[in-house]
Amino acid sequence: MKKVLIAVMIVSTVFMISSWACAAKPGFDSKEIRIAQWGPQTGPAAPWGSVARGTDILVKIVNDEGGIHGRKIKYFIRDDQYNPAQTKAVVKELVEREGIFAFVGGVSAAAGMAVKGYLAENKVIWVGPATAINEYVFPVQPYLFGIYPLYEDEASILTKYAVEKLKAKKIAFFYQNDAYGKSGLEGCKARMAKLNMKLVEESSVEPGEKDLSSQMLRLKKSEADVVIMWVNPTSATIALKTASTIGFKPQWISSNTLSDYVLMNKITGGLWEGVITGAFALPPDSDTPLLKKYREAAKKYAPEERWGTFYMAGILFAEPLIEALKKTGPKLSTEAVLKQLNSMKKFQGIGPPVTWTPAVHQGSDAVMIQKCGPNSTYITLQDWTTNELATWKKKK
Amino acid sequence: MDHRLIYLVNIILVNVILAVGLNVLVGYTGQISLGHAGFFAVGAYGTSLIMMHLHFPFPAAIIIAALIAAFLGFIIGLPALRLEGPYLAIATLGFGLTIMHIIGRWEIFGGRMGITAPPLDLGIPNSSLSFVIKGDVQIYYLILIMTVLLVIGARNLMKTRVGRAFMSIRDDDIAAEVMGVNLTIFKTMSFAVSAFYAGIAGGLYGFVVSFFDPFSFNLILSIIFLVMVVVGGLGSVLGAIMGAVLITYLQYDLLKNVENLPYLGGLLVAISKQWFTVIGLANFGGIALGLIMIAIVIFEPLGMFGIWIRIKKYWKSWPF
Repeated sequence: MKKVLIAVMIVSTVFMISSWACAAKPGFDSKEIRIAQWGPQTGPAAPWGSVARGTDILVKIVNDEGGIHGRKIKYFIRDDQYNPAQTKAVVKELVEREGIFAFVGGVSAAAGMAVKGYLAENKVIWVGPATAINEYVFPVQPYLFGIYPLYEDEASILTKYAVEKLKAKKIAFFYQNDAYGKSGLEGCKARMAKLNMKLVEESSVEPGEKDLSSQMLRLKKSEADVVIMWVNPTSATIALKTASTIGFKPQWISSNTLSDYVLMNKITGGLWEGVITGAFALPPDSDTPLLKKYREAAKKYAPEERWGTFYMAGILFAEPLIEALKKTGPKLSTEAVLKQLNSMKKFQGIGPPVTWTPAVHQGSDAVMIQKCGPNSTYITLQDWTTNELATWKKKK
Repeated sequence: MDHRLIYLVNIILVNVILAVGLNVLVGYTGQISLGHAGFFAVGAYGTSLIMMHLHFPFPAAIIIAALIAAFLGFIIGLPALRLEGPYLAIATLGFGLTIMHIIGRWEIFGGRMGITAPPLDLGIPNSSLSFVIKGDVQIYYLILIMTVLLVIGARNLMKTRVGRAFMSIRDDDIAAEVMGVNLTIFKTMSFAVSAFYAGIAGGLYGFVVSFFDPFSFNLILSIIFLVMVVVGGLGSVLGAIMGAVLITYLQYDLLKNVENLPYLGGLLVAISKQWFTVIGLANFGGIALGLIMIAIVIFEPLGMFGIWIRIKKYWKSWPF
């Protein structure tokens, strides 16, 4: 009897599931447009969670100004704990239960890769993933629009700056042994080749490695006057501390991932002062009217949040989407917004100028160059600079 | 109903397979493992890589991958002959972390970036015998069948001489040895069986999520697996199933949507904003999970299985 019961239960579950229909709900109605983002709010990567919360400020500003052609934006944040399996669950939930018009941002490369196909199948627009991954934009994905400058381009621009402006003679590269670090190295090497120069030293680090003395000694031995690093915050901290104890003081240059000077100074114990970094946003203390407006709004809506680079990133990843929605007018549809996104030309918010065409969805190759001044202030060394060597621009 | 639920059910079933396997080791044999995410990773990577590079059909690939995991389980079982309790926990923990780092370091495994699972082909890929399974619903059937088979397998194993040997080791290994139970064979076998289940679960998991990186298989995952078994009830197949279902559901669904609960949701959001962090309710998930674990260990040491037994007893004599 018991066995029969179990069999019946299994069969009935099977039957139930086969009768489930699936369909993504529409992402907007006459009153609201639903936009969403995933991001780690808890767990090991929680500090990056502020990207998702930053977007909220922009949404609140837009809604306070009356929404977009009569529709308010409803914004959802879901915590995925930096776990792609969870990302997939929350994205499916949002798309199928709430109905999402577009996703913005989204921290973690693995999370993005796990849901990329699903979003495309359901024709959900995705603007401004918070990582630079070649697979996102090459080949072109019709619904995915990248803003984040590629690491190759950034490294190339920074190398050029080091040689031409800092007059560096000996450049060394210190990188994390993964896709992120290696794309930085590639960009740097491409530029060096163009300048008929060679790196005096290439040294790699495994994320999680705690003793970097051998790397630092090698870099010191190379007598490099500039060291470009493409690593994570922990490795950078250990590197700077080790280098300072062995008396190695080159000009450090880093990718934009370490451009949160307040944070970096805190964890390096003040060693970050003087470091030059790339940047994908205006300095947080900048006085341009647009940035001022955002900063005031953040004070008003989220006084408990720290106004930093990641938080601002949340705003800038969403800016072009809001622009496209505004331009589309009251007759909203995914196709209409796609058309606007595909014809976006040199749109400038607080991030790099963004240009998309139907053939190229990598929106920008420009970074700013900034330097950490006293008290974690931002000194702008060079305005938005593009990479004339960018290989993907020639491909099209 | 929607795909999201099927996806959730798939994740739950994968965890059920793993928890049932882990329960063989923890619940029945009385050993501990903080490295099951490692076996899980071996299953996921092994299956996908064998299919991608050697073009094996899925059933062969997943079994080979699970056997590799089982072999590694056997290797880990060797130190277990001499290590007990916290020392064994540390040894297995080391294994789990090592696997994560090895996979991350070697480019052939896709490095830290991770890999996309290949098409799930039950036949021989790229030939007329190719039979590709697509989408959450079809994968669900595959996982359901495998879960049922593996759960029945575990149940039956526990009723054999092997199962009784496991339990005798748990209750008192010296007494077991005196009675003629070969500790070397049965302790390592328990590890191997448990790792085999984890390998199968991992192989399926890879196709459920479709993309995974080494970091997906971190220490937290190993601990969550252990929590499933303890909360469900040690030494009971049904308990492991209930634990896996409850914990996965809490993690992936209920705790994510607490703010939508009537009355309670609003209150919790307010409390969380006031006293915890700027991120609002997200932290609540971790706290609630911890409280549930503590409550179960204190009030119901047999886990959900204990609750189940009491309910059954109550109804047996109802209405008297």
